[in-house]
Amino acid sequence: MKRGRALLLLPSGIVIGAVLVLPLVMLLVISLMQRNPNGGIVWGSFTVDAYVSFLWERGFSGERELNWDYVAIFARSFALAGSATVTSFAIALPTALWMAFQPPKRRLLLVFLVTLPFWTNLLVRNYAWMLLLRVDGVFEQILHTTGLLTGRLGILYTPTATAIGLTYSFLPFMLLPIYLSIEKIDRRLIEAAFDLGAVRFRVLTRVILPLSMPGIAGGVVLVFIPGIGAFISPELLGGGKSMMVGNLIQAQFGYSRNWPFGAALAFVLLALVLAATYLHRVRFRSAP
Amino acid sequence: MGLGEDGAGSAPGALSCRNLRKTFGGTVRALDDVSIDIAAGEFFTLLGPSGCGKTTLLRAIAGFEAQDSGTIHLGGQPLDGLAPPQRPVNTVFQSYAVFPHMTVAENVGFALEMQRRPKAVIAARVEEMLALVRLQGLGGRKPSQLSGGQQQRVALARALAATPRLLLLDEPLSALDLKLRNEMRLELKRLQSETGITFVFVTHDQHEALTMSDRIAVMRDGKVLQVGTPTEIYERPALRFVADFIGEANLLEATRIAPGRFRLAGGAELDAAEDTGPTGPVTLVLRPERAHLAGPDEAEGQSLAGAVEQVVYDGADTTYHIALDSGATLRLREPSHGAPAQARAGDSVRVRIDPASLRAVPD
Repeated sequence: MKRGRALLLLPSGIVIGAVLVLPLVMLLVISLMQRNPNGGIVWGSFTVDAYVSFLWERGFSGERELNWDYVAIFARSFALAGSATVTSFAIALPTALWMAFQPPKRRLLLVFLVTLPFWTNLLVRNYAWMLLLRVDGVFEQILHTTGLLTGRLGILYTPTATAIGLTYSFLPFMLLPIYLSIEKIDRRLIEAAFDLGAVRFRVLTRVILPLSMPGIAGGVVLVFIPGIGAFISPELLGGGKSMMVGNLIQAQFGYSRNWPFGAALAFVLLALVLAATYLHRVRFRSAP
Repeated sequence: MGLGEDGAGSAPGALSCRNLRKTFGGTVRALDDVSIDIAAGEFFTLLGPSGCGKTTLLRAIAGFEAQDSGTIHLGGQPLDGLAPPQRPVNTVFQSYAVFPHMTVAENVGFALEMQRRPKAVIAARVEEMLALVRLQGLGGRKPSQLSGGQQQRVALARALAATPRLLLLDEPLSALDLKLRNEMRLELKRLQSETGITFVFVTHDQHEALTMSDRIAVMRDGKVLQVGTPTEIYERPALRFVADFIGEANLLEATRIAPGRFRLAGGAELDAAEDTGPTGPVTLVLRPERAHLAGPDEAEGQSLAGAVEQVVYDGADTTYHIALDSGATLRLREPSHGAPAQARAGDSVRVRIDPASLRAVPD
């Protein structure tokens, strides 16, 4: 019986092993090898150089010096992903609230509309934002016509544009879990709160928000973590000037031809994200 | 019950509903010209089958549903136009609706917290309420750690904590098992007399209604059919539906040939006391415990002949199913008194019917 049950786990075990564990092990091995200047790695070599070079670089005379460039890129990634998380939460919460209190039929339609952007490639959608934000783009023309702005908008190719792009890209991942947990709340609880003298704001803060904490926590994780590793928005909207971790890692496997360093960066990111997730879980453990 | 001339009543807990109408989707008449007066401190029950409008009436009083027309006054003041938080009315919901993320004490103190009372005042009141519903010492628990009956008590304590003028109870016992339900019935009655708050209780269970209420309103299809004390409703039902819905009843088709005189389908004639009304078709109501088997040499009084079809012994009582010679079937119930059954299936018997036990109701 027990053996039979274990066998049932085999297919998922194989899938997880093949698509998750195996690549991670390969990545770990690569990160501990010497780079091959022509791309790839030198098999059989072993070195932690890749990890060392995250903080130290070799100067002209060969001595090691501290280098904060990569740390700065990580910090920028966390800040941009964080601001995208906060902004998308600020947009998602009222939207989800509004959606959850629509008639059931309209709710289905609204959920469909929220997922509509997924039907188009993320790259294309970021290009669309370039058209909106660029000099003499749609937004600038609207602002000029209405007289709200006379000079240049000057947002494209700045970290602000990256943050806008990230918020836009990940908003559905914040909206859907929050919507689902609000929609799941027993309406009688909300009626009971009104009945007991709570005004709308207090119904929100004392009943709806605490009960939708699982959705909010899920949304934060789903926006913040992929946000850190995003590379399309910073490349296209940030103009490559405000590099994020995703771009850095992509570059190592691309034109920099430094696979071990790229793999090492991926592991540093993984460690930081795991640490952040752990702290997050400790923080929200008391939530229902 | 001390109602004023206008029926509104001016005591703070007196409720007056006048000509309430509410239609859903343009066709379903949930409330059809409902007028009800409830005295302060009364235990008043809205009784009826599902879809009769009793819950809609409750939600209109709480403010969750706006009536299309008509007025609701509490203590002489109109409630119309007030949002639920502003009404001095609290509700005990069918599914308890206890806040799962708050402790028992936070739940009970919620209404006072919303009134921004000082913490010490809230804590004292919470203790008092927990004692009232016999949940002392459980204030720190989460609702998920409580049984269904305990959650129900939390919901009660929470609704009573801010001393509402009116407590609405929406089938609060329906989710409990039989034993707990019987317990909570007594508990509710005790709470009501201890707090002196007007209770409006909604149920589809006629037994609950009879045992707990000061007065009952029987509803069907959005209309109030009859309002009265449990005795009035049971002994003197105004309509065939009321007689059938409340308790057990034998319903005999008959024709009134003169006031107090009726002819059954088979031609037999019966007298009923206290009867007035036009001649024509009626239904005669006879409660099973008000009919009796006539002794072998008993000649007095009116009776109907028939044959015993079935005898059902259930301890305290024995129920006889009797096929009357007129064609109708009658159930009658005699106390068992530890003696063997008075008749067996197949026996020919006479059923003694006291004119005072018969009541004619329009169809």
